[in-house]
Amino acid sequence: MNNALKIFKKEAREVLRNKNIWLPTLAVSLIFSIVMPLAIMMFADIGDEQAREFVTNIFGEGANIPVAMIEFMLRQFIVFLLLIPAMVPSLIAPASIIMEKDSRTLEPLLATPIKTSELLLGKTLTSLIPSFAISTLNFIILSININIIAYVRVGILPLPNIEWLVAAFILSPAISFIITILSIIFSSKTTDVRAAQGIGSTIIFPIYLIIGLQVAGLFLINYLYLFIGCIVIIGVCPLLLRIAVRTFDRENILTRWKMK
Amino acid sequence: MINVQGVSKRFGALLAVDDISFEVGQSEILGLLGPNGAGKTTTIRMLSTLIAPTSGKIIIDQKDAHKNNYHIRSITGLLTETPGMYENISAQANLAYFSSFYDIEPEKRERNIEKFLRMFGLWERRDEQVATYSKGMKQKLALARALVHEPKILFLDEPTSGLDPESSRMVRDFLISLKEEKTTVILCTHNLTEASTLSDKVCILKKKIIKIAEMDKLKDYKEIKQAEVVLLENSHRYLALINRIEGVIESKAQGNRIKLSIENPHITNPNILLRLIEAGARIIYFNEVSESLEDIYLDLVRDEKDE
Repeated sequence: MNNALKIFKKEAREVLRNKNIWLPTLAVSLIFSIVMPLAIMMFADIGDEQAREFVTNIFGEGANIPVAMIEFMLRQFIVFLLLIPAMVPSLIAPASIIMEKDSRTLEPLLATPIKTSELLLGKTLTSLIPSFAISTLNFIILSININIIAYVRVGILPLPNIEWLVAAFILSPAISFIITILSIIFSSKTTDVRAAQGIGSTIIFPIYLIIGLQVAGLFLINYLYLFIGCIVIIGVCPLLLRIAVRTFDRENILTRWKMK
Repeated sequence: MINVQGVSKRFGALLAVDDISFEVGQSEILGLLGPNGAGKTTTIRMLSTLIAPTSGKIIIDQKDAHKNNYHIRSITGLLTETPGMYENISAQANLAYFSSFYDIEPEKRERNIEKFLRMFGLWERRDEQVATYSKGMKQKLALARALVHEPKILFLDEPTSGLDPESSRMVRDFLISLKEEKTTVILCTHNLTEASTLSDKVCILKKKIIKIAEMDKLKDYKEIKQAEVVLLENSHRYLALINRIEGVIESKAQGNRIKLSIENPHITNPNILLRLIEAGARIIYFNEVSESLEDIYLDLVRDEKDE
């Protein structure tokens, strides 16, 4: 564990220095947790007839329209915010692995008394901790923004609620973990950081699909879907971890990984 | 210190190393030679427990290397074929990072980092990013990394590659001085002069071991020896006389020199000298022409190819 933390500390400094990682993260965070919610919540016309009809279709006849609209928007934002824990590791994890390949540091690193599990854990933490920190920060900022606007417009404080907490503290780290592990596995097969990051971006396609379906009114995330999502995602984790441990076998790294 | 017993390594259908056995004692330097693809790097990787042998056993420090790989890696230092340093951090930070995985006192670690950076002439530029270093400087830094935890055993793959002559000499002198510290060294190199200068023992590898011997004994491996006579006069007129002497396999006259290939030099050489003196030859020198490691290596590798 101590060795994994040494790896994490060194790499965290590199992540902070790497603009290619933190600039897109900052941009997406600003858009999803500040600009977009403020724009939607401030300028959405609660009295608009079409919007009322749309919300009634989803929440049923007796629904309190302004509250239901806030509810609807919250569910959109949950999915938007799940993009952040998916996006951050897809930028960090491949960069961390490809950097080792580029500089040919894996062999001398593996020649030290470090366990391959510690190396894997170090790399995973490098991707997971910033991802969790940024996601949590975004959830907090967004929650504050939404509460302020919802209070001003309809007099309610909708957050935090159970869905929001499940998304922030269960689903979000689980997604980060899966994307990290998948990025590490894919990174072992390529020497190009952009290609590896590209693969990471395609992994988050299901989240885009959910966003599309929600916006079209064909699907709305709820407790049940979140629960199923958690079960599926957490269920996949051990399997992926086993593949990653095999990929990270000392001999595999030196003889089967694609090196420059 | 190191005992390799019938070790083979196979990657799928490819047999990279075939049933090799050798021993290296404490404070010995073994030169591991061989053409490209001979299995030198694979052997070094197996010895440094980076990969496991397909069959056979490696005993290091009286322990089965692959059952005690953590211990083995803590007492060995590896210089890889390419320096492999983090380019965007400083030399000092690189050494601090790599050495942090070894169990050494922080004060001692700091002292060793300074000692080796100074020794390799990098101390003044210790805070600069490695990306700004020349190839030779990176190689020196990689050597410092292999040494900073004071390993009992060193595995060096082309240690003087990319170094200027002065630095190469310094590295060679340093490696010789390691004998006093009782460090065992396995040296992989294509530089045969370096191998012959440094090695106590040489192992010529081409998937399997072609020849392993102590340096001085390696030169005796051929039954036919070379010698050279330098005369005061033209040597051609003595050629027929020399060719009649038993034990002379071949002779070539060139100006005042005669080059000889001989068997049983302890019997043949006194005869040659006696006959030449009897014939009135005025001998300036009679020398043994010892074969260089390069000649021996090329002969052995060529013979192996012919077979």
